[in-house]
Amino acid sequence: MSPQERLLIIDDDPDFVAGIVSILAGAGYQVDTAYNPKDGLQALQAKHYDLLLLDIMMGRGAEGVMIARKLRKDPKLRETPVLVITGIREQIAFLFPGGPLHPHFVPVDELVEKPVEPQLLLEKVDSLLKAAQARKAQTT
Amino acid sequence: MIDKPRVLVIDNEEVVLDSCAQILEGGEYQMDTAKDGAYGLDLVRKLAPDLVFVDLRMPGMSGIEVLERIRDEYPLIVTIVITGYATISSAVEAMKSGAYDFLPKPFTPDEFRMVTKRGVERRRLLLETASLRRERELLKEHFAAIVSHELKSPLASVQQNLMALGHELSGVLNESQATRLGRMKGSIDVLLKLIHTWLRAYSTDVDSIRGSFQPTSINAVVAGALETARPHAVRKDIHIDAGLADPDIHVHGDEGTLVEALANLLGNAVKYSRSGSRVQVRLQAQADTLTISVIDVGIGIPKEDLPFVFSGLRAGRAGIDSQPGAGLGLAITRQIVLAHRGTISVESEPGKGSTFTISLPILQTPGDDRPVPTGTAEMGSPKEALA
Repeated sequence: MSPQERLLIIDDDPDFVAGIVSILAGAGYQVDTAYNPKDGLQALQAKHYDLLLLDIMMGRGAEGVMIARKLRKDPKLRETPVLVITGIREQIAFLFPGGPLHPHFVPVDELVEKPVEPQLLLEKVDSLLKAAQARKAQTT
Repeated sequence: MIDKPRVLVIDNEEVVLDSCAQILEGGEYQMDTAKDGAYGLDLVRKLAPDLVFVDLRMPGMSGIEVLERIRDEYPLIVTIVITGYATISSAVEAMKSGAYDFLPKPFTPDEFRMVTKRGVERRRLLLETASLRRERELLKEHFAAIVSHELKSPLASVQQNLMALGHELSGVLNESQATRLGRMKGSIDVLLKLIHTWLRAYSTDVDSIRGSFQPTSINAVVAGALETARPHAVRKDIHIDAGLADPDIHVHGDEGTLVEALANLLGNAVKYSRSGSRVQVRLQAQADTLTISVIDVGIGIPKEDLPFVFSGLRAGRAGIDSQPGAGLGLAITRQIVLAHRGTISVESEPGKGSTFTISLPILQTPGDDRPVPTGTAEMGSPKEALA
């Protein structure tokens, strides 16, 4: 149990973040937190993260989507795998009417619903990290 | 009406205007006057009065026309007719044109004050009603946002932390502690599901899903619904018999909500069945209609309750495993089915079981005139169905 990957979680609910961080930290990940989109984007620019955990409904609406769009446009950041964590599945359906529930913001991403079982969270994080590594190995 | 109520009198007789102004002067009203209908309407638009007296008989624009214009433009302004010939017919005509009351000429100061007071009271009620209605609409519109943020998010956070605690303390907690933690998680899970159902029923305009309709595989819908219903069925040792259509049948629809509709029916069937019994899902295609029946041999529905099962907000009686329902599942299911231009019906006999049937128009692929297949594989004998 010695993964040294660094993860960033952007979510405006500190209590929820605490419940996620403790699971990830317990598994040996280094986890940074940002409680609003602005701090989150700054953190993404300042440091390299191996994975981003992203809340969709923040602030005045779907501000998480805005972050995801910025990630997609950035040639470096778009390779960061994203685990979308969202409160309500329908809200995703509202945002992308007619689309699949899983919106595919960036090449490697996944979607889980709040609250998320610890085991499922760790599995998703692990598989996303592996998928991103495999993608990197392919392209280099 | 935070300020003094504003009263406007429109009358061509200056004597009337003067006496009205005198009667209300220095009191609890703001008073304006107009000598003819056109000028009166100007003042109505400029001053937005609470109450307008209109003389029926004026040169130029008639009193009735003034009344009708005010009614059309400002339905919340209260109008009262002043009429020199207090005949019933003119009063009735004025009422038809939106007047709230009438004041026969000549009138005493007390009569005028009383009618004014009543009119202002009427205006207050109209404004209050309008603001309540607006509030209700706003609330309805934002219900999803309010509920999700005020209730669901904090609960999800609590649940997340309980899960995290359980994870971190596994091996540390003794059996009783672990059980209690498990029960807390279970209770919050029930609450989250309840909120989810309410959100679904009140915030989603099911008609709006029509925009995203596409050819949808009925087998995928059945498979999705089975996946949702299976955990509860397994816990109650109930076997769900479901055949697939071979070849598949398609409808014009939205897979997500159709799965939800069928999963609701399956969930109910399981909930109201005895442990160890069976639930069947039957697909049948006839001409251009597909019927999906969910058949249970559970406790059934009393005859007097049958007309109301789809109307919502009637929590059915607790199931055999005494799980109270939100009472909305069938209402949502019906909405979804109607949005798909389908119908839903129920037959039931107390003590013997219930059969819920959804009918949907089959999507005919152009140039495909093969007979529409019927899914019969492992579906139990057709005779049992629709008992």
